[in-house]
Amino acid sequence: MSKLNSGQEAPKIGVYVCHCGGNISDHVEIDKVVEQAGGLANVAVARENSFMCSDPGQEMIIEDIEAGKVNRIVVASCAPALHEATFRGAITRAGMNPYLYEHANIREQVSWVHHGPGATDKAAALVAAAVGKAGELEPLEPIRVEAEAHATVIGGGVAGMSAARDLAAQGLNVALVEKSPFLGGQVSQLDKTFPSGEAAGELLSALAAQVLHDDRITVYTCSELAEYSGYVGSFKLKLQRTPPSGQDQERLSRIGDASPGQFLPFVGVWADQPPEASEEVELTSGAVVLATGFEHYTPPQGEYGYGDLAEVITLPELIQIMAGETGGGEQLVVNGKTVNSLALIHCVGSRQIPGIHQPAPGGTLNEHCSRVCCTASLQAACELREKFPETSVFELYRDIRTYGRGQEDYYLNAGRAGVVFARFAPEAPPRIEAGGEDSALTVTVPDQLLAGEELALGVDLVVLAVGMEPRDNQGLVDKMKLPVGADRFLLEVHPKLRPVELPAAGIYLAGTCQAPMDTSEVANAAGAAAAKAGAILSAGQVELDPFVAQIDQAKCVGSGACVEACLSDGAIEMIDTPDGKRAQVNPALCMGCGVCVAVCEQDAIELNGWTLGQYEAMVDAIVAQTAGQGAKA
Amino acid sequence: MPSNETQKFDSLVLGGGIAGLAAALDLADAGYQVAVLERDATIGGQMIRLSKVFPTLDCASCITTPKMAAAAHHPNITLFTMCRLEGAQRVDGKLEARVTQLPRYVDPDKCIGCRQCEYECPVMVDDHEQGGFTARKAIYIPFSNAIPQLALIDREHCMMCGKCSSVCPTGAVDQLQQEQEFVIQAETMVLSTGFELMTDFPQRAYGAPGLGDNVISSLQMERLLAPHGPYMRVLRPGDGKEPESIAFVQCAGSRDLQLGKPYCSRVCCMYAIKQAMLLSGALPLADLTIYYMDIRAFGKNYEQFFQNAKAMGVEFVKAKPVIAGNNPDGSVVLRYEDQEGGTGAVSREHDLVVMSLAMLPAFSPEEIVPVSAADDGFVMVPQPKLAPTLTEAAGIFTCGVAAGPKDIVDSIAEAGAAALGAAKYMAAKRGGQAAA
Ligand SMILES: Cc1cc2nc3c(=O)[nH]c(=O)nc-3n(C[C@H](O)[C@H](O)[C@H](O)COP(=O)(O)OP(=O)(O)OC[C@H]3O[C@@H](n4cnc5c(N)ncnc54)[C@H](O)[C@@H]3O)c2cc1C
Ligand code: SF4
Ligand code: SF4
Ligand code: SF4
Repeated sequence: MSKLNSGQEAPKIGVYVCHCGGNISDHVEIDKVVEQAGGLANVAVARENSFMCSDPGQEMIIEDIEAGKVNRIVVASCAPALHEATFRGAITRAGMNPYLYEHANIREQVSWVHHGPGATDKAAALVAAAVGKAGELEPLEPIRVEAEAHATVIGGGVAGMSAARDLAAQGLNVALVEKSPFLGGQVSQLDKTFPSGEAAGELLSALAAQVLHDDRITVYTCSELAEYSGYVGSFKLKLQRTPPSGQDQERLSRIGDASPGQFLPFVGVWADQPPEASEEVELTSGAVVLATGFEHYTPPQGEYGYGDLAEVITLPELIQIMAGETGGGEQLVVNGKTVNSLALIHCVGSRQIPGIHQPAPGGTLNEHCSRVCCTASLQAACELREKFPETSVFELYRDIRTYGRGQEDYYLNAGRAGVVFARFAPEAPPRIEAGGEDSALTVTVPDQLLAGEELALGVDLVVLAVGMEPRDNQGLVDKMKLPVGADRFLLEVHPKLRPVELPAAGIYLAGTCQAPMDTSEVANAAGAAAAKAGAILSAGQVELDPFVAQIDQAKCVGSGACVEACLSDGAIEMIDTPDGKRAQVNPALCMGCGVCVAVCEQDAIELNGWTLGQYEAMVDAIVAQTAGQGAKA
Repeated sequence: MPSNETQKFDSLVLGGGIAGLAAALDLADAGYQVAVLERDATIGGQMIRLSKVFPTLDCASCITTPKMAAAAHHPNITLFTMCRLEGAQRVDGKLEARVTQLPRYVDPDKCIGCRQCEYECPVMVDDHEQGGFTARKAIYIPFSNAIPQLALIDREHCMMCGKCSSVCPTGAVDQLQQEQEFVIQAETMVLSTGFELMTDFPQRAYGAPGLGDNVISSLQMERLLAPHGPYMRVLRPGDGKEPESIAFVQCAGSRDLQLGKPYCSRVCCMYAIKQAMLLSGALPLADLTIYYMDIRAFGKNYEQFFQNAKAMGVEFVKAKPVIAGNNPDGSVVLRYEDQEGGTGAVSREHDLVVMSLAMLPAFSPEEIVPVSAADDGFVMVPQPKLAPTLTEAAGIFTCGVAAGPKDIVDSIAEAGAAALGAAKYMAAKRGGQAAA
């Protein structure tokens, strides 16, 4: 260990204050903060930069370390979640222990929330606290745990199958866990996929073949996660396999003598014989990829006449009807009735606005755009006009969102094929009534494209382009303590920096459990998740932060209060020693929450990186600073 | 540093924007040796030039610089800036890329990025990095968080006065530097060459030479809004007036069959809303109007972002206006068909107009790389469902805007998939083994 690594030398602290290009410096007087920091005990240098995270900013730190000017680093900038890792990386490159580092958040905790002179004072106090703690820092070593070369994917739709395939291709063994007896998820309910018009069945068959023929992948159908524990590199999972019942049984009865891998329209890909009796499967997995997908919004009875009027159906229902239609007639026929004219209504159960739309019984609103329904309804409209030239089609929309590559063509083609568009405001949605002059229904809507003129359309069918809703995953969410966003979809750490990761290391998101996406986007997301999981597991070892509890065995009297208080099963346990029972920490399971520190009457536990002495130093520094006594002691 | 010898890597990433960097980092983390080839003097692409980014409104620099630095310092990544790819072909199973290193006229091994030369240089040139609103010198470092921090000489404007050479503490200035050719060999390639805006929109749309007075491009507005932008506040470039009314014209060049660009550029609705939100913070009294065809706020939390902007008082008008000219006070007259009010063609004046210009591919692969461009000009991906990042050539992948317009979130996700595609290809070639 070098001298710098030892932490033995007297602290020489370098303080680096970031302007964040104005984000901080617009409200905090950086020069004052630097000046005050320069006067604090143990501070060797205090500097500033417009972007500390930039290369020149990081170089400043590295140069000071290499010149022997500093042996502890404090950076005052944005939230540690963004850049703590960046600065620890720079320190490592300079050959110093990365844990001789303390972070002061003067953006989210100061400049974004306080303005005026108070902002500068608070920034100076936070910097003083960080300096106080830095003086007490000790070098630490990351915790290294063995990583199982195995990943578990939960959900057997396009996302799950793609992720499984992509994980296996990196040399990992994979368990693919699917609740139903079939693979394929919601794509099984489609006929054609946009924008290429590829048949959903072909797409799923191709993907399922790759999954089923890969020796590294084991598919568990009819299975759900029953128990979950462990940590990245070594998750312990228990699956519950249950013989199919209810709807699944009915779907199974339709397979006849299908062979594994065969696609059954509107059912899915049959993977294997379902279990005949309940059974449990235990797995040890290095990483978990969540690919649990979405659910279609089901309109409550009465929304746009759904459930009251037989002629009001959803888009997935229309797709299924049309798949059975070979065309030939001039008009579409539904339930034996000729459809002379139909209206598709967009944004049903999506883009809901508080105060305008009625919340669901649970009080929830779907404020998000479902991203795929515009293109899906235009695709249906184009197909209808092509197969049934005498059936007129109206699209009632708010905005047409054919954003993706090739999608705008559906919009253009629909217009060319004579589809009639009317645009409605969320406050004045279409109204559906039974009966009409020559039609089953009448739809009235003020058309914004015609200065709000009210249109009355006689139609025989109304099709609701229902949106995507987050699946009710409460069981999984509770078991795995998964973060859920305000939109009720699973929530990534940061949409740009860590888009497929969850805060708990080793758990990844793929596909529509995270947000609405189309199939290509799902394939990308699954690939990105597989790449991240593959990168950590193929190394055979995972490094974790060392901020965990540590027991002073000499002080421990074996009361066991810590074990009782601990929130993470197995993180702290009592072991027998020659002196009697003593506490012992499993570093990989310890979350570093510090509850045990608080309950130990012997002060036998410290949290590495957050010791009581370090806290005291921080508090002292804040008190000294706010009392205006921050000068060199 | 380029030499005449062939340099060997596992992967060659063409374009060091956010997509290319994300792909390079994923590959490097998995143990592959990666070369990033960038034609510009700095990596970072368009994103490093933005102000704040939707939908989280974090500052673009804060998100991009660490990725740039991570790539620059990664032991498995080598950066090549100011390089032109002349051609790439598979020879005996390996891709051979012929590359020209363009001269900086500054020795990269000697330059320490001290900027002494820049302070001394007497020539002032429009700084395109600041939307052309301020000046830079003829020898310059592109911007304060550029990577690498190396000076270069703009030979078009340099007077050869020799001042920079005389102050340079390391003798780095080298006016005799020449183009240099070298070869990069790699097993796989990722095309992440990104986009440019349709800057000749006025020419194509109405035969006008430029955007006109007080009409700026959306990227110029990004600079006006950047915390370290040209004026440090939002002013009208023409006369320095603080604009009281600002309008955005959406789909300028996109979704336009007459201009041959039927596709949607996919990010402009959201960045216009973002810019309007940032403006309402910078200029709380200004009227903000967005003229649009459809508001395409389709991503995660984007619709909520749009509804917030509406609630904050940003006005949304469904129309496709034309620029009818300027008033004597410099304000811009827009003329459009009033669909919602039904009053026919109307005119409205705004102090400043921002054009949300179409995204065009920055690179045409044809005749350089063995893949083709699709009808829209972006790199063709023949299997959008099963392998959305695979091009027509085995082992060559694409991501980011090179594969069609998309925002940063989608570019990064696609970059992950492209990196994975490349890693899978290499693992298969090596008999199922991941990187060494
Ligand atoms: C005004 C504006 C505002 C925006 N705001 C946002 C926002 O707030 N949020 C958001 O998510 N997105 C935003 N975007 C979109 C965002 O800019 C893109 O999603 C992102 O930059 C795409 O990254 P990329 O790497 O694919 O392409 P680029 O950023 O274009 O990078 C491509 C790189 O490749 C290089 N290159 C090109 N050709 C070659 C070649 N032949 N050889 C070598 N190198 C080459 C280029 O020099 C460049 O460095 C905005 C776009 C604009 C125009
Ligand atoms: S994709 Fe279209 S129909 Fe679907 S929610 Fe979004 S705007 Fe509405
Ligand atoms: S060229 Fe010389 S003077 Fe200019 S930045 Fe480089 S080292 Fe400094
Ligand atoms: S994103 Fe919006 S402004 Fe841009 S081309 Fe598409 S519809 Fe037009």
